[in-house]
Amino acid sequence: MIELDGVTFTYAGEATPTLQQLDLRIGAGELWAVLGPTGAGKSTLCSLLAGFIPHFYRGSLRGKVRVAGIDVPGSSLGEMSEHVGSVFQNPFNQVTGARYTVREEIGFGLENLGVPRPAMLERIERSLALTGLSELAERSPYALSGGQQQRLAIASILALRPKLMILDEPTSQLDPAGTGQVFTLLRDLVSAGETTVVVAEQRLEWVARVADRCLVLQSGTKAAEGTPSDVLSSPEAEGWGLCESRFSRAARAAAAQGVTPQRPQLPHTLDQAVEYFR
Amino acid sequence: MERIRRDFSTVTLVMIPVAIALNIAVGQLVVALKLPLYLDSIGTILVAVLAGPLAGLVTGVLANLIWTLTGLQPFAAAFAIVAGIIGLMAGLFAGWGWFRRVWLWLLGGVITGIVAALVSAPISAYLFGGVMGSGQDFLVAFFRATGASVIQATFGQGIVADPLDKLVSFLLVWLTLRALPSRFLQRFPRAENVAGRPE
Amino acid sequence: MGLLLAVAFAVPWWACYLTLGLLVLPLAALGRLFGPLTRTLWKLVLPFAVPILLIQGFFWGEGEVLFTLGPLSFYRLGLIFAAASIGRIAMLGGCFLLLSMTTRIDMLMRALVERGLPNQALYLVVTTLQLVPRFEAQAHRIQDAQRARGLETEGSIARRARALVPLIGPLLLASLMDVEERALALEARGFSRRGPRTSLVTLRDTPLQRWLRLALWLLAATLILYRLVSWITR
Repeated sequence: MIELDGVTFTYAGEATPTLQQLDLRIGAGELWAVLGPTGAGKSTLCSLLAGFIPHFYRGSLRGKVRVAGIDVPGSSLGEMSEHVGSVFQNPFNQVTGARYTVREEIGFGLENLGVPRPAMLERIERSLALTGLSELAERSPYALSGGQQQRLAIASILALRPKLMILDEPTSQLDPAGTGQVFTLLRDLVSAGETTVVVAEQRLEWVARVADRCLVLQSGTKAAEGTPSDVLSSPEAEGWGLCESRFSRAARAAAAQGVTPQRPQLPHTLDQAVEYFR
Repeated sequence: MERIRRDFSTVTLVMIPVAIALNIAVGQLVVALKLPLYLDSIGTILVAVLAGPLAGLVTGVLANLIWTLTGLQPFAAAFAIVAGIIGLMAGLFAGWGWFRRVWLWLLGGVITGIVAALVSAPISAYLFGGVMGSGQDFLVAFFRATGASVIQATFGQGIVADPLDKLVSFLLVWLTLRALPSRFLQRFPRAENVAGRPE
Repeated sequence: MGLLLAVAFAVPWWACYLTLGLLVLPLAALGRLFGPLTRTLWKLVLPFAVPILLIQGFFWGEGEVLFTLGPLSFYRLGLIFAAASIGRIAMLGGCFLLLSMTTRIDMLMRALVERGLPNQALYLVVTTLQLVPRFEAQAHRIQDAQRARGLETEGSIARRARALVPLIGPLLLASLMDVEERALALEARGFSRRGPRTSLVTLRDTPLQRWLRLALWLLAATLILYRLVSWITR
């Protein structure tokens, strides 16, 4: 699904590259989480995978970028949008404003893509069902909560049947309820085989719960790659500048004080913590 | 032709509704502060600097047309030309590099204000008084001609208020934009108006 | 729209009142808009009607005088002229209000797009209409927040003017920042895709509507021609 070889990218007007010699292979049907502190290049990677780099953002791009079978640099924004979907941080900004109801809002992208009307109606219903928005179909997009708006953004993108969905810190502006809704939705979508998901995130607890694999970025290079437990339990984890979950912090503190010996697999979710400290 | 398509990029199209909403929001803030200004073209000028004179023109015209469509001010549409000219002139001045020299830019603001007042005077005179009949003395003609602003539809404000208003609007846009980093300005079609040609 | 304006000036002025009474108001009543329409129309026309009446009435300068008020004389021709202007404005205003109150703007725009208007125009119009109230609410929130911090809404002009910059600067900047994300979100929905587009909503155009439109065009054309001819042959 995703093939990156030796990718180096520098924004126009900047001296240092934001991504350096990045190699990456992601298969279809997986839920990947991209981790790293601010400035590590998560957003840049997301923009690259969606085709915004190089077609929206200017700069020098080197290396091979193949996403969903398309050579990204040789494509266009219009073509990329047919195969790769993008969800962003701010739910309000993703409401186009050009439509009056949730249903029509989902239809916006379908209209742009020239999908025939019968197929449109069917896809909209499906999107509404998958994201749990069916009851809100006739409401104005502006009358929704942040979490609902974010689900609407996901629904709108889902309707386009993207092979790949990229989400750049989609829950950073949501409350805990909204955050839970989004992560659960992503997990359900991938498990049901709807699409492949790459999500850049800081909330490690959720990542540990739903992601299949993780990628840790540091200063534009790959610092680690693997399953959430492997990656997050790694002894180098502290050096990556990630916001550690309270469970693993508790485990490390317990080990330091000699209360519980530290085992290789640290807990990152509530369930794991319960098991760990038993 | 190609330049026009570049000027009306997706970013520009997104900016225009935001700018129009800004026009109205800022206009309301000003009324709340009870200042003798309108600042209802501030968004238009912003678009003009960042996306060119044609985009500024469209923003101004559309802003007034929308005003009419909302039913708030059915006669705003008559002054759409004035608003369009403001956007056009701001864009032209920015395109001539005036934005990069603050005094030139502010002068541009004053000129725009004068032109705006001059253009709106006959419009309101015609709309509200009809063609000037015979036996009218100068005072009445002047009185009617200066009922230019649609927001504050009170007579006698146009010729003095407009240049001042545009001066302040131009200044505020200048203060806001010049502090932005070049990387951010690159989004916009006419970034060179603010930042200068890239080396 | 231009046609409407042309008609407004072509028709003899008393016909404007007729149109208002026989066409606009009954249609409004039909759409259950009679109250709101007349209220808004009244609010809009009055600020213009009174000054016009006063100025044209008292300053016309020639012709028959209807009455005097101290040193001022009220002229009949002025009254007629004022009535004509008011009538035209009222008719135009009434038609406009009727249009804006009965039509869903996005349907109107979609109909225009079907007839060749660029798609971007639909986006611009509808989005602006939806964003404006949000921004107004935002402006109020900023106002309240600043007032809680002791913002000067009273005081000298200089002080109030200085209060302006910290209010407007952040608003402008935040709006510009949002523009990038909004543009990307649109791109993600295929906004700049070249190729045929489809529509979720189908617009019904009955033969009756088509005939009505044709009739209106013909009527307007006749009126304008008639006026032009009579003006030329005067």
